[in-house]
Amino acid sequence: MTTAYSNLEMMVVAASKLLLDDEKVLVGTGVPLVAATLAKKTHAKKMKIMMEAVAYDSNPESLPFCVADPRAVYNTKWSPTSVEVMGHFLQSGRIDKGFLGGAQVDKYGNLNSTCIGDYNKPVKRFEGSGGASDIALMSNRNIIIMHHEKRRFVDQVDFISSPGWRCRALDGKSLAMRSEMGLHGGPYAVVSTLGVMKFDDITKEMYVDTYFKDLGVSLEMIQQETTFDIDVSRAKALSPPTEIELNILRKKVDPEGIYMKY
Amino acid sequence: MEKSKRINLEDIKDFIYQGDRLWLGGWTVVRKPMAMVWQLIKAEVTNLHIVNNPGGPDTDLLIGSGSVSKTETNYIGHEVFGHPYNFKEKMENRETVDAFHHDDWTVGSGMMRIVAGAMGIPFIPTKFLRGSDLLRPENDGFRNLRGVDPKVPKKKYQVMKDPFWEGDEVLLVPAIRPDICLIHAQEAGEDGTVRLSGGAFLDYYAAVASKITIISAEKIVPATELFETREENVIPGEVVDAIVEVPFGAHPTAVHGCYDNDPWWFQQYITASKKKENMAQWLDEWVYGVSSFAEYLEKIGKKRLEKLVADPSLGYAPNILRRMDRIVEVN
Repeated sequence: MTTAYSNLEMMVVAASKLLLDDEKVLVGTGVPLVAATLAKKTHAKKMKIMMEAVAYDSNPESLPFCVADPRAVYNTKWSPTSVEVMGHFLQSGRIDKGFLGGAQVDKYGNLNSTCIGDYNKPVKRFEGSGGASDIALMSNRNIIIMHHEKRRFVDQVDFISSPGWRCRALDGKSLAMRSEMGLHGGPYAVVSTLGVMKFDDITKEMYVDTYFKDLGVSLEMIQQETTFDIDVSRAKALSPPTEIELNILRKKVDPEGIYMKY
Repeated sequence: MEKSKRINLEDIKDFIYQGDRLWLGGWTVVRKPMAMVWQLIKAEVTNLHIVNNPGGPDTDLLIGSGSVSKTETNYIGHEVFGHPYNFKEKMENRETVDAFHHDDWTVGSGMMRIVAGAMGIPFIPTKFLRGSDLLRPENDGFRNLRGVDPKVPKKKYQVMKDPFWEGDEVLLVPAIRPDICLIHAQEAGEDGTVRLSGGAFLDYYAAVASKITIISAEKIVPATELFETREENVIPGEVVDAIVEVPFGAHPTAVHGCYDNDPWWFQQYITASKKKENMAQWLDEWVYGVSSFAEYLEKIGKKRLEKLVADPSLGYAPNILRRMDRIVEVN
């Protein structure tokens, strides 16, 4: 008999597995920090957690609630500023993976964390995208993590905060493929509460790579919760989290349930 | 002996003018110059132009008290504690809100801009910003001010082909040139030398880039004490114009090694800031109706402040709960 677990927990465990030993990962605030900390405490002990405000190889005892939190600084090997993290490491191409959340994602992996509706007359305005735009642009690969809902998985995001595969061209008007613009990197995966999506090598459109069958998720459900047509032909079931992973997540990573909301 | 740069907290208002570009040190909910911000609100300063990297309760409070007409930054918020309702209100009702302008940037591009400001160069090339909707001319939040307001750069950015190496296209972005910079530090010397721990963020660059820099510190000590272990000093006294000792001067934000965020403050403030009339009441209760920042701290209460005190070996207070729906009263 296995322990019951939630879609949120499955999402975090699935995302943590995409982070590998020996990588330098620039992690955004919130759920990405939870998954990165879990990876560091399980299979990727040598992975370096970087944070835009202050941290190089962060190894927190207690979950930081933002990228400047003293909890993020505790145990770091070096305490840089954003001049070093964003300028010397990210802008120069030294970050293996970016790891971000957001409010909306589209089929090309563009991410919106700025506003809902027209930018100049928003229905809902968020705090602002912080360093997410830079991280999505300049990391060698980018991983996105967010709840899977129809209003979040949209055909085209209301505002491109963080560029995906087809994003705003330098003329400030048209949209262009990343390769046409000479940009490196790009979104590698979107981990949601229903499964893990990746991007087609040729079309650069999102498809379902694995899904959380064990939690009762079906491919129809994923299509229902996605505004655009999503290719499910390559989808495989993802194996559930282990007892050890759940235990570490619940007892050591986010025991207070700040993000996991137990 | 060198002359002390000490001032009283009440003197802050004498350094600041209408329309000044203001850089607030720290990062979102960490080491924000809250006592100085409190004093600016108390002095009913108006028409400020905020130019920092991520803002937190400092910025939302200044917006909510009507002290701000322009913000250019990449984030204004309280992190996991809740949303910045004063900022949201301005942005979601832009058509009915007179004279509030917000220009969105990113952490990376903002960092490049303040580094350029510190170096005294007018602009700097960057790879950041490409691919994002911030490049759309209609999304330039200051488009109506460019070429009109001398404190606003004439353009948001300029695309340029690299003339020296591969010929790739880069963006030129304007330097940030703050008129005044307010930073809260763990420690300062009488001469203005600043010592920070737990991350300096962009405070050094902002201090150098600004015309006037004022430091509030948990503790002011004779400068010679700080010179003995000089590698821990972050900002030289030369670029600091005034210092003021304010224990708990960053409350309710966290100061590494000193105290943690005050979740009770955030809970009360964020609830109040959802409604205009409640926000006005909050300002009456916590700023206008209180005679000094020291009295504000007294009103917060010793018991609560003691709970926030950091464990020196960790840098934070391990017993502070941060899940807002489970916070219980201090007793």
